[in-house]
Amino acid sequence: MAVDSSVMMAITVMYLGIVLLLAYFGYRKTKIAEDYMVAGRKINPVVLALSYGATFISTSAIVGFGGLAGQLGMGLLWLTVFNIGVGILIAFVVFGKKTREIGHRLKAVTFPDLMGKCFGSGFLRDASALIIMVGMPLYTAAILIGGARFIETTLNISYNTALIGFAAIVAGYVIIGGLIAVMYTDALQGTLMAIGMSILLVFTYVKLGGITAAHESLSLLTSNVSEGLQAAGHTGWTSMPSLGSSLWYTLVTTIVLGVGIGVLAQPQLIVRFMTVKDERSLNRAVLVGGPFILLMTGVAFTVGALTNVYFYNTTGQTALAAAGGNVDSIIPNYINSAMPDIFIVLFMLVLLSAAMSTLSSLFHTMGTAVGHDLFNRGGDAKDSLVKSQIATVIMICASVLVAYLLPGSIIARATAMFMGLCASALLPAFVMALYSKRPSSLAAKVSLVTGAAVWFAWTAFVHVKEADPLGISQAIFGKTALLEMPWTVVDPLVIALPLSTIALIGVWLIEKRSPNFEASEDIVPTPVVEND
Amino acid sequence: MLGISDPFIVLAYVSSIALAVACIVYGVLNWNKGGEGDGC
Repeated sequence: MAVDSSVMMAITVMYLGIVLLLAYFGYRKTKIAEDYMVAGRKINPVVLALSYGATFISTSAIVGFGGLAGQLGMGLLWLTVFNIGVGILIAFVVFGKKTREIGHRLKAVTFPDLMGKCFGSGFLRDASALIIMVGMPLYTAAILIGGARFIETTLNISYNTALIGFAAIVAGYVIIGGLIAVMYTDALQGTLMAIGMSILLVFTYVKLGGITAAHESLSLLTSNVSEGLQAAGHTGWTSMPSLGSSLWYTLVTTIVLGVGIGVLAQPQLIVRFMTVKDERSLNRAVLVGGPFILLMTGVAFTVGALTNVYFYNTTGQTALAAAGGNVDSIIPNYINSAMPDIFIVLFMLVLLSAAMSTLSSLFHTMGTAVGHDLFNRGGDAKDSLVKSQIATVIMICASVLVAYLLPGSIIARATAMFMGLCASALLPAFVMALYSKRPSSLAAKVSLVTGAAVWFAWTAFVHVKEADPLGISQAIFGKTALLEMPWTVVDPLVIALPLSTIALIGVWLIEKRSPNFEASEDIVPTPVVEND
Repeated sequence: MLGISDPFIVLAYVSSIALAVACIVYGVLNWNKGGEGDGC
C-alpha cells in the first residue's frame, strides 16, 4: 500500500466525525418511535434515493460482485440491467407506491409489521421477522467481512480490531439515532460512493486506452482463461459463458436472477418506501436512483472485468491469479496497485461508506424486526423503542459471530443466498399483500412456508456450492448432492420462487371457490393482527 | 461494437445505460405528480 496508514487513519477519523455529526442530527430529530422506525415518514426524495441506493449497494456489490466480474467477465452486466430495471424502476413505480400507501394507512413501521397488518395475521408477521432474524445475519456478516478486510489492509490494523471496531461504530449510531440517522448518513455515504465510482470508471478507461481499446484488450485475453474455468464454461471476459455450462447456470440463476429479483423482497429496502410522505417523492427518487445504481454495479462489473487487462499488462497474470485466487481481493488489489494515492484514500471512504450504509440498514431492520415484531408482538410502536435497541445489540453480536464462522470468498454468495431466501419466501405473499383486494392469509402462509422450505431443502441437498460446505446431505445420505448436473448448479431461488408462487395461487383459487368465500368488490387489507 | 464481440454483452452494456436514462426521463416527467394527499 502506497499511502501512509497514519494519513489513512486521520482521514478515516475525519470521515467518521462527519458521519457521527449527521447521526447526531438524526438523533435530535428522533422524538417518537415512528421517527426511529420509519424516519417520521417525511424523508426528502433525494435522501431516500441515495439511502435506498447506498443500502442496496454494499461492499458485496463492489468488492464481492466486482471481484466476480474479474473472474467471470462482463456477463455480470446483466445483473446491472436487473438492478436498475427491477431494483429501481419496478421496485419504486410498481411496489414502492403501494407499499407507501398501505404502510401509511395501516401505520406499519416494519416490513413484518406491514405483512402482519395486511393479512391480519400474527403468523405472517412473526414468520417474516424470523426469516429476517435467521437469514439477515448471513448477509450482514458478509458485509462486515468485506468492510473489515479492506480496513485491515488500508489502515494496517488487525482483522479482529477492524471487524469489531467497524461493527461497534455503526451499531452506535443505529441504536441511538434510528432510521433518520441511518438515512442521513446513507445520503452522505451514497454521495461519496457516486463520486468515487465515477472516478474509478474514468481512470480505468483512460489508463487502458479508452472504452473500445480497453474492451478489445480484454477480448484478446481469452486464451489466458485458466483450464479449470474453461472446463466450467468460461469463454472469455467479454462473452457469456457457454450456454448450459455450470458457469452459465451460476451467472444466470444465482447472480442475475437470484440477486436481480431478490431485491424486490428485501425488508431493509421495502421499509424505505414507507419513509416518504407522498408518491411525488418516489417519482423524484427514481431520477436519482437509476443513474446511482449504474454508477455502482455498472462501474464495478465493468472495471472488475477490466482489471484483467491491467494485471496482465503489469504482471502477466489474470486478476484472480494476481489476487492469490481470492475473488474478494481482486478489487482491493486493483485499487491498491493501479490507482493514485489520493484515489486509494477516496476509495477507502467509498468502501467504508458502502459497507456502513448497508450495515446500518441491516442492523436497524434486524433490530426492529426482533424488537418490535417478535418481542413486542407488533404492538404499539412506542413500546418497541427500547426493545428494538436491545434487539439490535443482540443481532449485531450474532452477525459478528457469523462473520467469524463464514469461509473465504463468501461475500457475493452470502448476499445471493439471503436475497434468494427473501424472494422465495416473501415475494409472492408481498405481491398479494399489495395488490389483492382480498388478500388470503392462508395462501400467504402456505406460500411463505413452501418458499422457505424448498429454498432450504435445495440449498442443503442439491445446490452443491452450499450443500457441500453445509454437509447435511453428506451426513444423511452419504453424498454431497442428491441430484445430478445441471440441477446442482441451479440456484435455489429458481426452484423455490415458482413453487411458492404456485402455492399462493393454488390456495387462493381453492379458497375463492369454496362456498364460504364471500365475493367482495372493495375489501382492503385489515389492520387487525393476531386473528390466527 | 464497443470492442465487445458477444452481442449479449453489448446488449447488457447498452441496456444498463438505457435503463438509467429511462429512470431520469421518468423522474422528470413525473416530477410533480402524486403530491401530498394522493394515495391513502
